[in-house]
Amino acid sequence: MDKQPRHDTLEPVFEVVWPLGKAASEAIDLRPPVSDLSGKTVGELWDWLFKGDEMFAHIRRRLQERYRDTKFVDYKTFGNLHGRAEREVIAALPGLLREKGCEVVITGVGA
Amino acid sequence: MRASVVAEKAGVRTVSIVASGFIPQARSVAKSLGVENLPIAEYPGVIMTDSPEVFRSKVDALVDQIVEGMATPLKAVAKVKEPGPKDVVFRGTLDAVQDHFADKQWTDGMPVVPPTVERVERFLKFTDRSPDEVIGSLLPEKRQLTVWNVAVNGVMAGCRPEYMPILLSVADAIVEPEFRIEDAGSTPGWEPLIIVNGPIVKELDFNYGSGAMRMGRRANTSVGRFLRLLFTNVAGVRIPPGATDKGSFGISFNVAMAENEDACAQIGWQPFSVDRGFRRGENVVTVQSVVAVTPPMYTAGNTAREVVRTLAEVWGRGTCGYWAFTGVMFSKWCPVLALSPSIAKVIANDGWSKDDLRKFFYDTVKMPAGLMERYASEAGLTAFNLRRLVEEGSTPKEYWESDDPNREVRVFVRPEEIGIVLAGDPDRNQARGYVNNHIQGPPVSKRIELPAGWERLLKESRG
Repeated sequence: MDKQPRHDTLEPVFEVVWPLGKAASEAIDLRPPVSDLSGKTVGELWDWLFKGDEMFAHIRRRLQERYRDTKFVDYKTFGNLHGRAEREVIAALPGLLREKGCEVVITGVGA
Repeated sequence: MRASVVAEKAGVRTVSIVASGFIPQARSVAKSLGVENLPIAEYPGVIMTDSPEVFRSKVDALVDQIVEGMATPLKAVAKVKEPGPKDVVFRGTLDAVQDHFADKQWTDGMPVVPPTVERVERFLKFTDRSPDEVIGSLLPEKRQLTVWNVAVNGVMAGCRPEYMPILLSVADAIVEPEFRIEDAGSTPGWEPLIIVNGPIVKELDFNYGSGAMRMGRRANTSVGRFLRLLFTNVAGVRIPPGATDKGSFGISFNVAMAENEDACAQIGWQPFSVDRGFRRGENVVTVQSVVAVTPPMYTAGNTAREVVRTLAEVWGRGTCGYWAFTGVMFSKWCPVLALSPSIAKVIANDGWSKDDLRKFFYDTVKMPAGLMERYASEAGLTAFNLRRLVEEGSTPKEYWESDDPNREVRVFVRPEEIGIVLAGDPDRNQARGYVNNHIQGPPVSKRIELPAGWERLLKESRG
């Protein structure tokens, strides 16, 4: 029986199970914070949307005004995060970030 | 955010630029990938409607947030104890169950059939697969999709137990990486469409005639609803107060579309499932995204050319034309044309095959290149440029033969991607066109596997 009448009501009572699935995400190693971008290499990852090219150019200028010797690896190096080859671009990211010596990354643009 | 998490896993600290309205979604995606507080630099407002001056000043303000984000210690998501599949998570009356499910956002807004163990087990009789089988995991929430929770959501949707083989084939389809379930919450607000072929259409009483896409027939309606519940409960795609469905308007669930294969046979056309690579007579489901539907298209005449011209104008140029930039940009785009058998008969009697019809649309449906670029830019693809795409080699050369914005370019890049299904009232001269959302939900087809003893089980289920 999937229902049991309660003594104080004639309405059936249902005992129901969970419609979701077990969470399948894995633990991730968390990197320490980076408080000074002087001398660091900053990667730019762009999804080719929402004027990200203008944003990155502007952000680059401002960060270069603020920090010494900050290098930038521009978004064209990594490819379009939202194009037809998105999966290949993302799969290649770890290797490319290492190859280019990126220590931090700015990703855009979610909207 | 997915790229940011990949970068973090590779040992590189990130900050992600996200517009205000998308921050809850971004946080939710990051959490389900294991990071509680992935740094975000917020662009306040709507980027596409800010003036250049306002845009520049807001980007300026991002810089401090980027610096602060890089300096923020990250926190891992705490593990939460979750119920087992058969654990009773709630006990109550019908109304109490509805309220509980609504509070938890385990519903689509309509009353659900309470998923009790007994009801779920009735569904499990209709598969030889183990209830514990993990079919895959579904983003954005990255939860396991199992035979058991397929049955749970099938119960909730109001399906009959004998629909379970179809439900499992649908589940098998959406876990395929090419389906890209992770994009189900994107702003176009696409909705999956299930197309059913084979003898199972009649066996399970799917409607493929008049009112083919209306709610009303249990098989079509509940199977369509089931998939939306799966998107909600296992993939975790939820409208507010949830955060992961950013469909600006969205459309509601599509009832499953069943093809009229008798009509196909009568005119000598192969069914949609055969177009998809299966044999005639096989039970097949295809699942794909739909982002727009045309008005009802009435066409008249007794030659193919007469009846297809309105389809080309309304579905081709009018509806598909607006979204054609996605087909160019993403190199995959599979709109579907549903023809009443009466229209298909005229076309076929004039000696046209389905491929002839596809070629007709490919050859004749065109639009100004400048308009395609404008539509793309307004949608946010501000870097969309036909010249660049041709020079990169991803787009045929004919899309950039000059810089004249009025030059005409094809709406359909690859005619073989156009789906053609026969359904709807055979006594009326109507067609409907569906537009798919490029690589987000391309058609994925699966054979429907029936359990041993199917006929007997079916008979028993029907009493």
